[in-house]
Amino acid sequence: MIGVLVDNLRLAFGTFLAHPLRTLLTLLGIVIGVATVMTMMALLEGLRMKVNKDFGQLGANVFRIDKWPQGFRFGGGGIDWNKISRRKRLTVEDKVAISEQCPSVLRTSASSWQPGEVLRTAMSETGRDVFVIGATVEYPETSGITIASGRAFNEGEEVDGRRVAVLGPDVADKLFPSLDPVGQTVRIRGRPYTVVGVMERRGKVMGLFNMDNQVLVPMSTFLGQFGLRRGVSISVEALDQSGVAAAMDEATRLMRQRRDVGPTADNDFEVSTNETMAKSLNELSNVVTAATFGVCILSLLVGGIGILNIMLVSVTERTREIGIRKALGAKKHRILLQFATEAVVLSLVGGVLGIAIGFGLAALGRWTFGLYTAVPVWAVAVSLLMSSGVGLVFGIYPAARAAKLDPIEAMRAE
Amino acid sequence: MLIELKDIRREYTVGGEVVRALDGVSIGIAKGEWVAIIGQSGSGKSTLMNVIGCLDTPTSGSYRLNGKDVARMDDDELAGIRNREIGFIFQNFQLLPRETSLANVELPLVYRGVSARERRARAIDALKKVRLENRMTHKPTELSGGQRQRVAIARALAGEPSLLLADEPTGNLDSATGEEIVRLFEELHQAGHTLVLVTHEPRLAARCPRAIRLSDGQVVGDGPGAEVAWQGVARP
Repeated sequence: MIGVLVDNLRLAFGTFLAHPLRTLLTLLGIVIGVATVMTMMALLEGLRMKVNKDFGQLGANVFRIDKWPQGFRFGGGGIDWNKISRRKRLTVEDKVAISEQCPSVLRTSASSWQPGEVLRTAMSETGRDVFVIGATVEYPETSGITIASGRAFNEGEEVDGRRVAVLGPDVADKLFPSLDPVGQTVRIRGRPYTVVGVMERRGKVMGLFNMDNQVLVPMSTFLGQFGLRRGVSISVEALDQSGVAAAMDEATRLMRQRRDVGPTADNDFEVSTNETMAKSLNELSNVVTAATFGVCILSLLVGGIGILNIMLVSVTERTREIGIRKALGAKKHRILLQFATEAVVLSLVGGVLGIAIGFGLAALGRWTFGLYTAVPVWAVAVSLLMSSGVGLVFGIYPAARAAKLDPIEAMRAE
Repeated sequence: MLIELKDIRREYTVGGEVVRALDGVSIGIAKGEWVAIIGQSGSGKSTLMNVIGCLDTPTSGSYRLNGKDVARMDDDELAGIRNREIGFIFQNFQLLPRETSLANVELPLVYRGVSARERRARAIDALKKVRLENRMTHKPTELSGGQRQRVAIARALAGEPSLLLADEPTGNLDSATGEEIVRLFEELHQAGHTLVLVTHEPRLAARCPRAIRLSDGQVVGDGPGAEVAWQGVARP
């Protein structure tokens, strides 16, 4: 049995080596299909790992209370957005109340933001893409922000509504390429802010949202400039990890009470942890994974037709060989097995090439674009399985044709 | 009797017309005989060779080969019989072009399930018998016509079949090389092999102890080669 397998494998590779270029060209469909799926999987897996790491960094034992649901959804996701938009906004007073009245809570922070702003100095300006965050003094702690130079703003500055700012490293680099930003003045919509500190670099969340292209200002200052009636998001940090559930419970109860939610009504605010956000991102990547596999199956189908074609050609070209083998005593199943093995080996070669190219593209993405990529082991296994399956399915018909040949007729062929 | 053909008929339908390639052939060939089957083209000798070689089954009649009734066997059973009982030597050698002499000679043993080591040893033995031990790793394209036919003979011998069946074995060879092959057949005959040789060449058939002449699908002569070979043919 093993002897038969070894013989067939030897024959299969022999065919491959006899016409390497032609065979490779026919395998392109499978190669491209597998390479695509491998690259996509590498990107998605990299993204997934990065997301989990990033959200882990965002601050431990922290959950958020928002008016709007967090995370990524498809379509409406069964959410009544009209109803949500009628919800009352959350306020700094809510934040203070949670801090004071919930025993399992260590600290809270409130934040509000304005995307797409420009920061200017006398010498230069940023793009129209800076995230201005108005925040209370606890925000750096609850959000995992550390200060690289200078300091964060203090309670006094917050209370007085001073125009002080902590720059993200990208903003600092852009505005002050050769100068210490601390002590300098930047303008937001014409109003001058004194830079008191620069944040440590944090990178991008899942490679998309740049955490370094933002600027932090005191909440009261922010509301003064961008509108007093703005709602806030509240970050709540529990005393410790085991206290997260209790803190959530207490905060939820307090918020329901403050917002006059009836005992049977649903919350009119959202409570989410970094984990739930990471989870919704993972769900997104699962959908993309499934879509990629759809594309992959299509290109494997194309690749399979290539295999069908080359195997039919191979059987025709080797009609005489098949005749000789049958005349010398090869039974039908041996011929069938020989050509089926050949088809599987061919598509496996295509699959292995595709995997190699996928690894190559993933590495290329890593080195040239700084993307996080990681090829998951299961994707390699699935690719190998699928390509050999394609070989088997599309190789059976030509193999059966070969097995059925009449030896006398076949030996007459040229 | 090694071969017992009784009233063998083989009919083909070609373009709606029935062609009788064999029309009641009865032949017996004993173990150790060297028999030529001779006839013009269209006489039915190729069909007879295919039937004897178990490459084809008769439309009617009975055929016992080495005691087994092979006339009603299916394709796979016939493949098994060909593999064990018959060593083929074809006019155009029918070697696998991409394989070495050794691999070609091993082929029948591959399909018999002989282990790689044993079939290598037996193939080497067979190649020694045809004096090609120094051409074992050559491919057919690197060999002369006579050497190719000797590889084919070695392949036929390797399986130690009960019958060697040769179809115009010298047809594609010049006369000197052909003579060399015929000498080899004489040696094999002397060594006790049963040989059936299908040819249209009276000169070749005359060298065989016994010849059977076919015409229009029927046996028209059966006797010593030297007599039957020239039957109805003008001697040169």
